[in-house]
Amino acid sequence: MAIALQVLLFNRLSFYGLCHPQVYILCLLMLPIALRRELEMLIGFALGLVMDILCNTLGVHIAACVLVTFLRQPLLTSMVQNAERLTTEITMATIPMAAYIRYAVILIVAHQAMVSLLSAFSFHHLGWTFLQIIISSALCVGLILGYNLLRSK
Amino acid sequence: MNSLLKFIQQYSNFLVFLILEVVAFMLLATNREYPKSVFLSTANRAVAKHYERVNEVDQYFSLREENARLYEENIRLQNELIAWRNHMEDSVEQTYLYAHLDYQLMPAKVVQVTTNRLHNTLTINKGLRDSVYRGMGVFNDEGVVGIVSTVGQRFSVVIPIIHTKSRISCMFAKNGYYGTIEWQGQDIRHVKVSDIPNHIAVNIGDTLVTSGLTPVFPANIPVAVVEKDTLMAGASYHQITASLLTDYKHLHYVYIIDNHAQVEQENLQREERN
Repeated sequence: MAIALQVLLFNRLSFYGLCHPQVYILCLLMLPIALRRELEMLIGFALGLVMDILCNTLGVHIAACVLVTFLRQPLLTSMVQNAERLTTEITMATIPMAAYIRYAVILIVAHQAMVSLLSAFSFHHLGWTFLQIIISSALCVGLILGYNLLRSK
Repeated sequence: MNSLLKFIQQYSNFLVFLILEVVAFMLLATNREYPKSVFLSTANRAVAKHYERVNEVDQYFSLREENARLYEENIRLQNELIAWRNHMEDSVEQTYLYAHLDYQLMPAKVVQVTTNRLHNTLTINKGLRDSVYRGMGVFNDEGVVGIVSTVGQRFSVVIPIIHTKSRISCMFAKNGYYGTIEWQGQDIRHVKVSDIPNHIAVNIGDTLVTSGLTPVFPANIPVAVVEKDTLMAGASYHQITASLLTDYKHLHYVYIIDNHAQVEQENLQREERN
């Protein structure tokens, strides 16, 4: 569902090519923490591969998704007490709001940075790339938090 | 041995991470500029089919515009045809002309296009089955669109002008001076024109057309119109910004150029270089 939305809607957004939120990352953010980390990274790999085929950017989304799935568990355990016991999906309802926001922001920025830098793959457009990372991540954070708020109500 | 196993066990997470990232980077490195594999790109039939279906819905929103454009093109072609007929009527060269048709056009529909990246791509619904090959030129009634890069059974991926690695050889329609068009990234309406020496007069509004120097495009297909021209004191080349004639945001139908002489010309040029 998130992938479909990403491909059909958000990949078309363009504000001088700067605004390109990767909302499909929500799938990864929601994965329950009880999963084995290796399995989680394989899920990230598969999701990234699907996105890459759909976007003609082989490797870019895979690298970013694997990074996100690798960072996720240490991040959660360091921010939330008793995180190991969480067996449900990770949303704003299951962990404290402040922690969720921090968790989401860090992962979204990491993911967006990876996607933008790798798809540019050159330092000629560095300023533009950084602007793209900032604007896209901000919009993506907004959308994902908005989605969470709507769902928790 | 024991300690090695222990090490692997302890760092298994990190090792998996490392392996997966290495795979990703290998894929990235081999596919960096153009998608090479048919299966792992939008030339993949299943993926392209999906985009085609989406595109069918999408198209309804621009039907009126599309109609108007086709109508205009029709009129233009009719006029050209009449002009040619008049010209040919008392000409003995009539048979000569038809015997020397060097290239043919093949219509194709755009099923997917990206415009917000540095390495943009578009997918069209013609492939190997329709005798499309890597390196064929693609244009529409507005101007040059791009060059075919990856070819699948029924679909192909095209590298448009708005791809940072794309270079199109062009010339001024008015005096035939050659230059190169390249895209700087970011702004999908504008390109840079380089290699135009300073002694040539350049005016705003001059049209740039394909040069015909490369076998990909025959000469005189419009590409862009000069929008800004700065000539620095002491510089030997113009710095020209031109606006592209093709609007990638509304791209539905394109023509693929099947140049019968392309293989021969390419082989000759390659031999000469070696």
